[in-house]
Amino acid sequence: MKKIAMILSFLVLAMTGMAQSNNWFEEGNAAYNEGNYEQALTMYGNVVDSGLESAELYYNMGNTYYKMKKYPMSILYYEKALKLAPGDEDIRTNLEIANLAVVDKINALPQSFVARWWNGAKSSLSTDGWAWVSVVAFALLLLCLFAFLMARRAGWRKAGFFAGLLLLLCLAFSVAFAVGNYNDQKRQDEAIIMTSTVNVKSTPSEAGIDLFVLHEGTKVRILDTMNGWNKIRIADGSIGWLQTESMIAF
Amino acid sequence: MVKKIEERSKKMKRLQIIGVIIALLAPVVMMAQEPSIKVSAKTQVVLGERFNVVFEVNADGSNFKGPSFNGFTVVGGPMKSTSSSVQIINGSMNRSVSNSYSYVIQALSEGDFAIGEASIVVDGNVVKSEPFHVKVVADQGSSASSSQGGQASSGQGSVSSNDPEVSGQDLFVKVIPSKRSAYVGEPVVVAYKLYTRVPVSQLSVSSMPNYGGFWTKECSDSQRQSSEVVNGIQYTTYEIKKVVLIPQKAGKFTIDPMVVDCMAQVVTQRSNPWGNDPFGFFNDPFFSRSYENVPKTLRTASVSFEAKSLPEQGKPASYNGAVGDFSFKASIDREEMTTNEAFTLTMTVSGNGNVELVNLPEPVFPPDFEVYDPKVTNQIDANGQGMSGTKKVEYLVIPRRAGDFTIAPIEFSYYNPSKGQYFVMPWPGANIRVNKGAGDESSEGGVYASNQEGIKYLGSDIRHIKTGDTKLKPVNSHFFASPVYWIILVALLILFIVALMLVKKHRQFKQDVVLVRNKKATKVAKGRLKNAYKYLKEKDQNHFYEEMSQALWGYISDKLGIERSVLSMETVKEAMMGKGIDETLSNEFVDTLNTCEFARFAPGDAAEKMQGLYDKGMDVIMKVEKTI
Repeated sequence: MKKIAMILSFLVLAMTGMAQSNNWFEEGNAAYNEGNYEQALTMYGNVVDSGLESAELYYNMGNTYYKMKKYPMSILYYEKALKLAPGDEDIRTNLEIANLAVVDKINALPQSFVARWWNGAKSSLSTDGWAWVSVVAFALLLLCLFAFLMARRAGWRKAGFFAGLLLLLCLAFSVAFAVGNYNDQKRQDEAIIMTSTVNVKSTPSEAGIDLFVLHEGTKVRILDTMNGWNKIRIADGSIGWLQTESMIAF
Repeated sequence: MVKKIEERSKKMKRLQIIGVIIALLAPVVMMAQEPSIKVSAKTQVVLGERFNVVFEVNADGSNFKGPSFNGFTVVGGPMKSTSSSVQIINGSMNRSVSNSYSYVIQALSEGDFAIGEASIVVDGNVVKSEPFHVKVVADQGSSASSSQGGQASSGQGSVSSNDPEVSGQDLFVKVIPSKRSAYVGEPVVVAYKLYTRVPVSQLSVSSMPNYGGFWTKECSDSQRQSSEVVNGIQYTTYEIKKVVLIPQKAGKFTIDPMVVDCMAQVVTQRSNPWGNDPFGFFNDPFFSRSYENVPKTLRTASVSFEAKSLPEQGKPASYNGAVGDFSFKASIDREEMTTNEAFTLTMTVSGNGNVELVNLPEPVFPPDFEVYDPKVTNQIDANGQGMSGTKKVEYLVIPRRAGDFTIAPIEFSYYNPSKGQYFVMPWPGANIRVNKGAGDESSEGGVYASNQEGIKYLGSDIRHIKTGDTKLKPVNSHFFASPVYWIILVALLILFIVALMLVKKHRQFKQDVVLVRNKKATKVAKGRLKNAYKYLKEKDQNHFYEEMSQALWGYISDKLGIERSVLSMETVKEAMMGKGIDETLSNEFVDTLNTCEFARFAPGDAAEKMQGLYDKGMDVIMKVEKTI
């Protein structure tokens, strides 16, 4: 009895927690619409502190930072939003606009056609989107298998075989995309530079030779960490070391 | 009398010849002399005067190089002339050589100049001349007087000539600026006048100043002749040229002199080379007077000029460079029209000042108004008073949309230097009503001609926040790879397997039932036939036929899986066809069935009939057995 009561009360708490967070979200939106950006950030921050997240939340935070002209933070939150909803056009557009404020112009290494296709397809749905696709594909695959095994008529069996093969392919891809997106989010190996100007060093120490200079708002990929330094790579392939505190990972 | 003179002249002539020979011989005596270059020229010349410089080399040489003549213009040369002579004295031959290289040069400015060294190669050695000094003085006559402020003053030019008969007093050119200092954009008139007491012809301007920093326009009322008295002397004057200059930037400028060439007619008197002749009538002007055309080069003085920048205080925002005294007018020719009908906005500036350079303000029209390039009409005259006239700009405009529009006000401002302040002339703008034209509506029955146009992008901003439902989830929580996900997948799999098994079982079951019935059929038939055989032996017709009928029907229904309720000849035939039993056999079977039904009523020996039917029945059953 006690246990049931505990579970019930936990559920109720969780529900109210959700409701509260939804309230904060809406209050944040209202503050934004009035132009009260500080207040909006406070509200959104509450939601984040409560341990919840969503693409819409991060997107709105990105907008708020943008309006406050804090472009690196804005870019950070757009990127976080994008990880949750890779296919969202609003997020992409605003990220592009925010990136116009970034000083560094880096010529990204060209991606192979395959890589571009893969990333494009993978980004069209979120991790969970692909998860659902895989479930449906799996169900249909079993159906086709059933038809293949059990159907009396040769026509049904043939149809079952080919459809099943196709669905197997779908399943494989959807799982692969889901895994890809999942890993992207789990790894947190991308970061936005927050310090206005930094010198990227050749070794993880202040005494290292300065290789190149980066400015706030630039996106980097973290390859390794050591002693409070991160080994980073930028879009044109250049590698160097930066202090961990000069960037925020996502 | 005449004889005496003749004798005298002969004597003189002889003396002259002897003198020449001695002069020639003298250099020969000094045989072993060094090769050298001697320079001869005037040591003092007047600015602009052309004079000779001769380099005499007393030996044969090659590769003569003249000096650089800095500060002078080389008008002619080098021209080479050679003379040589051979002397034989007491059997020894002496040869003397003289090569002269001569230049005609002209001084460009006053001062002391050194004509550099000339060089020539003689017998492999380079021989150089000594530098030669020339002093260049200013023109003779009165020098240019300068005064500050707005007073007009003139600069008197110089006469360069070797002939003292035409002095600077008789012939000179003057440059007359209307002002020596003006604002940027303020027009100034500069006139060039020739003053002369002698007849002058073939007047040409050999060098015009380039007026750097000024915009220039020639005046239309120039080249007039009149007369003037200067310093008590009457002169004929001719205005050679008159220009309007408008300074384009602030600063101090020097307007270069203008150089004019002409031919002056002068009276020449031949001087007596033999000294004063007591006999007067050879001095009679009647005999020795003559006219000569002497080429003259005349220079004006240079003019120093100061251009002042316009005062910043009080300068209106719309000011765009107009200086002078102007009036401004702007108007549109209609205030109401339909779409696609044109109207014209006209702006006119008139007055005096830098009219030609005035920038009329650009009108601003509402969007959706098509504006064509403006037509500019100028009616401007430059004359002795400066520059005046009218500048008109017309804009042709076609509104493409219906509605009420406003044309923004236009302001024209200018600076009046004589009053020393800025003036602003505004135009309050205009309201225009554009009615929907007939061309906008679709013609009857026709296709609507779309009047669409692309959306004008005015600016860009980030997209707005998302305000709909947000599905807040705990951080880093996913459906994918979550327990629920796996549960669903496993559930599906289990469902699949279960379904598979069920269906298999069901089919198996059905198969078995049929199999069982099949197997049973033969046994049952045999069982029935056995019974029938017993009745046959007992000669129990009724039971026999009953048993036979049941056996056959039962057998075939079980064998073929026909339900008892639908049993009939037709269904049996159908079923047999369905099972692939050939027609003969099936007919046979059906026959047997028939016989079974009706045999008992047929005539004939009972025992024979029964036996016959029994045999047939057995046979046909076995045949069917064999087939299926």
